[in-house]
Amino acid sequence: MILAQQLILGLLVGGLYGLAAAGLSLTFSVLRVLNVAHGELIMLGGYGTFWLFTLWKIDPFVSLLGVAPAMFLLGLLLYWALFQFVVKAHEETRIKNSLLIGFGLTLVLHALAIRFWTADERAVTTAYSGAVLRVGGLAVPWLRLTSLLFAFAILAALHLFLAKARWGRAIRATAEDWEAAALMGIPVGKTYLLAFALGTALAGIAGGLVSISYAISPSIGLEWTLKALVVIVLAGLGSLFGSFAGGIILGLAEAMSVVFLGGPYREVVGLILFLIVLVVRPQGLFGARA
Amino acid sequence: MKLLVAGILFIAVFASLPLITTRSDLLNLGVQIFLAVVLAQSWNLLGGYAGQINLGHAAFFGLGALVTRTLWVGGTPLILALFPGALVAMLFGLMIGVPAFRLRGAYFAIGTLGLAEILRITIGNLMPQISTIPVRELASYNILPRYYLTLGMAILCVVLVALLIPSRIGLGIRAVREDEAAAEATGVSALRHKLLALALSTALSGLAGGAFAYYHVSYYPQHTFSPAWTFDAVLISYIGGVGTVHGPVLGALFYVILRELLAVKLVEFHLIIFGTLFIFVVLFFPGGLVEAWRRIRRMIARST
Amino acid sequence: MLEIKNLQVAYGPLVALHAVDLIVRPCEMVALVGPNGAGKSTLLKTISGLLRPRAGAIRWQDETIDSAPPQHIVERGIALVPEGRRLFAAMTVRENLELGAFTGRAQQEKRTQMERVFSLFPRLFERQQQSAGLLSGGEQQMLALGRALMSLPRLLLLDEPSLGLAPKIVESIFVVLSELHRAGMSVLIVEQNVHAVLELVQRAYILEGGRIVGEGEGRQMLDNDHIRAAYLGPLARGAS
Repeated sequence: MILAQQLILGLLVGGLYGLAAAGLSLTFSVLRVLNVAHGELIMLGGYGTFWLFTLWKIDPFVSLLGVAPAMFLLGLLLYWALFQFVVKAHEETRIKNSLLIGFGLTLVLHALAIRFWTADERAVTTAYSGAVLRVGGLAVPWLRLTSLLFAFAILAALHLFLAKARWGRAIRATAEDWEAAALMGIPVGKTYLLAFALGTALAGIAGGLVSISYAISPSIGLEWTLKALVVIVLAGLGSLFGSFAGGIILGLAEAMSVVFLGGPYREVVGLILFLIVLVVRPQGLFGARA
Repeated sequence: MKLLVAGILFIAVFASLPLITTRSDLLNLGVQIFLAVVLAQSWNLLGGYAGQINLGHAAFFGLGALVTRTLWVGGTPLILALFPGALVAMLFGLMIGVPAFRLRGAYFAIGTLGLAEILRITIGNLMPQISTIPVRELASYNILPRYYLTLGMAILCVVLVALLIPSRIGLGIRAVREDEAAAEATGVSALRHKLLALALSTALSGLAGGAFAYYHVSYYPQHTFSPAWTFDAVLISYIGGVGTVHGPVLGALFYVILRELLAVKLVEFHLIIFGTLFIFVVLFFPGGLVEAWRRIRRMIARST
Repeated sequence: MLEIKNLQVAYGPLVALHAVDLIVRPCEMVALVGPNGAGKSTLLKTISGLLRPRAGAIRWQDETIDSAPPQHIVERGIALVPEGRRLFAAMTVRENLELGAFTGRAQQEKRTQMERVFSLFPRLFERQQQSAGLLSGGEQQMLALGRALMSLPRLLLLDEPSLGLAPKIVESIFVVLSELHRAGMSVLIVEQNVHAVLELVQRAYILEGGRIVGEGEGRQMLDNDHIRAAYLGPLARGAS
């Protein structure tokens, strides 16, 4: 019973892991830039939702309509100020520099968050926060279920955009072969900008959903960056639904570790799984070569 | 040659400092600077010279601290306690390096990032209580041996790197950084050179951790695995001048002293400043303070 | 008209093109031949904007384009069919073609242009939902050519279109090129298959070691000593 309950909770959080990974996967597959500050962007999204709720009583799901565009703009800014210079180099140097820049960004964003909002944990508590759906003997928190469905819907929308829209296809083409894409008349710089901003917006949405069902604080950044990385290593790059599935797998693995090893080792199991997959099968369980 | 003179001067000044003053705050600052030098120089060896970015440098610092502290508090003489710490750090480093270095791209960086977090969380769970120096040591606690130990380590670290880099092995290491494929083509085993740099880097970091364990009266064991130590190492290396011998030294002086001065104000402020400065250096001024100093000297020379 | 004057292109310290002069007049089909490593691909890439010249100028219809970004050059009507085709293997034939019409100008005529491409290459119509990576070599080259046509070019650049293809297929592609030329397209074609291409074009240049070492009318080049010695081998020896 406990196992089943934990597995449900693991499934529910797994959707968020997938969403978190999707943003990072998008920017990496298109720009070949690994932004290790992705978790901090998730943190910022979480605070956005938190403050909109706390200051102006805006329902957290509704606030995402504001948080997503705001984070999109932040993504534009970050690309313009930092990452556009990183993409000028060729791949090896690009990855190296993006790791460093991302690392520095982690530090700065983390410090700014503590400076403005203190290191305290925050959570969004609405009137319906505690509502639970009973299935059999199991409790399924409504909020987390809604978040999961929301995350899935966002990924589905993103998938449609990439598959059908002119700019979505441009993004996919640029990810596959940027020179060939340029020869189609696709402005590669603008495509990079769009992909990065989208990735940031995705992080923001993930963060908003995190603040709804879980606590946030300035320090959750590193944790979520690692979660996103674990999912990417598990699922490989290039597939949004692979990311989602990878996220679910991670959520379930964590749930099982909670049952068999106890709560404190939840994070560790995911990371150890990550190291094992890294060593044994770095292209991920479903993915093409990263 | 100028560097050698500057180095000797540095050593002379810092070695004689305790003879001039007994102010513990200055001596503590000294220890911080020396630890920072070792932390940064060890990172610089792998990151600056071998081109492998280690985002979990804290893991090896923490392992050194853990092993040394445990042994020393348990009665082992310090000298004997330091080396197992360095050794364990090195073994963990190789454990990540051997699989990760075969792959290109970011695998080593994120692997070390993950390792540091695993250790931090695990140690935090297994050893949540604060670790304090036993009473017998506390009574006779003296900053001087700590001061000279860390100074000695800083000197050792810098000299090691200074001797290694122009050597044949050092040349191989740098060749691997420039172009792995080309290096392999000329018979330089990329894997072996990367692993060598990794082994030295992590061992030195472990030594620094061991010194920290000897120096710090009480701390939470998981704190030594905190990413803050990695940040320090990376920021100092880049701000000082990554890929040079004296860059990390300059950077350590700049960073630690400025941090002391800025800490009077809000605590996080210095992180924002250094973080931004670091990003600026990586993007636009990769030579760091070393390069800045070179340009200033050239400007002065030109105007006279 | 495409006018290249005194073009110098370098990869770092390595100079790939030295003072190259080349012209393609409206409705002309011109070949660029030469040994491997002569710089032919480099020249096409520079015209397309993927590379920036160190010196010299490229003018297209009275506009200087040598420092323009690739997307601008596509908008102005120059399309490159790159060496090795560079298709988007993960996408379908139809998606590849649609991507070719990315620019605003091309978007408006997307439907009609796609019909035209399908009528030129019926095989592509049959396979339109297939993944581009699964096509045969000949079909891939047709797709690459079709994709370039989607951007409504007035000058078509082709880099080694016959590479790796069976002679029959090469022939069919050259037939299509002739048709396009007759309909008013300017073409600059880089080819190893010197014999076939020189029959096709009006003029040809020879590029060797980054320099233009010869120029002349298509068929007459077949008699050119350079060409005969270097490329036509036994055929040349037999014919004299």
